[in-house]
Amino acid sequence: MLLLEKSTYYSVHQSETKRLFHVDFGQKVVKLNFCQMLALREKVNAIQLDLLFDSEVNKHGLHMLTLCNNEHLFVLSIEQVIDLVRLVHNSFAAMGLSQKYVPVSL
Amino acid sequence: MKDIARQQLSIQVESMDLLNNQIKMEAHASATYLAMASWCEQNGFFTSAKFFFKQSEEEREHMMKIFHFLVDVGGNPISPEVTGINHEFSSILEVFESALEHEVKVTESIKNIVKKARQSLDITTERFLDWFILEQVEEENTVRDIVDMIELTGMEGVGKQMIDDKVADWIE
Ligand SMILES: [Fe+2]
Repeated sequence: MLLLEKSTYYSVHQSETKRLFHVDFGQKVVKLNFCQMLALREKVNAIQLDLLFDSEVNKHGLHMLTLCNNEHLFVLSIEQVIDLVRLVHNSFAAMGLSQKYVPVSL
Repeated sequence: MKDIARQQLSIQVESMDLLNNQIKMEAHASATYLAMASWCEQNGFFTSAKFFFKQSEEEREHMMKIFHFLVDVGGNPISPEVTGINHEFSSILEVFESALEHEVKVTESIKNIVKKARQSLDITTERFLDWFILEQVEEENTVRDIVDMIELTGMEGVGKQMIDDKVADWIE
């Protein structure tokens, strides 16, 4: 297993035997193929961070994230969301498919 | 180690995002031209309506071209949401002027993707957009010529019918 990226709460490893990525969410490790990684990136990009911070819209300050056609469900705090955004972007940078590297800022 | 990621996707993810955005823009253009066709039909500009029906189809073809490209490179094309289509125009000149404005926006957007693709050495995306750059020259030119024609003809008196008839020159 090759470590692609590690953030405060999460990490992404690339399997050396299968065409899979292992995303460690803390509570559980989710195995994603590349398309599912792209889908995760799309989900993360769609999160409107400013709305998360808006206590009128988001009273509890939590975000629900579903993966793989609702097979997995995660409830994330704002801090975890920001951490995940960074993890996902940096994973794609580590794969050589993105120019955007988000430095650790939390 | 096998480079799984590169084996699956042959463009940069940032290019993919910009192309998904372009898909949205082409879909919006297609819907906008449909609204213009509707306006033309309701206001007696039947040839112009035909022109916009055809433009609307072309924009959808542009959208599909990008959509299929994203499929081909192993990306994640997103079916676009289209909202906020304007149906109100005060004159046929305004219809064509806003069509021109729209085309200019599309051109600038495509150029921006080329620029970003070039910066990230994403040659695949850059080359793919060559066709769009040239297509935009045509599109802009066509609508610009029609706007010029309307201004020359003038919208008073017989102008209205003459204008509409002349639009036929730009329908291939
Ligand atoms: Fe177009």
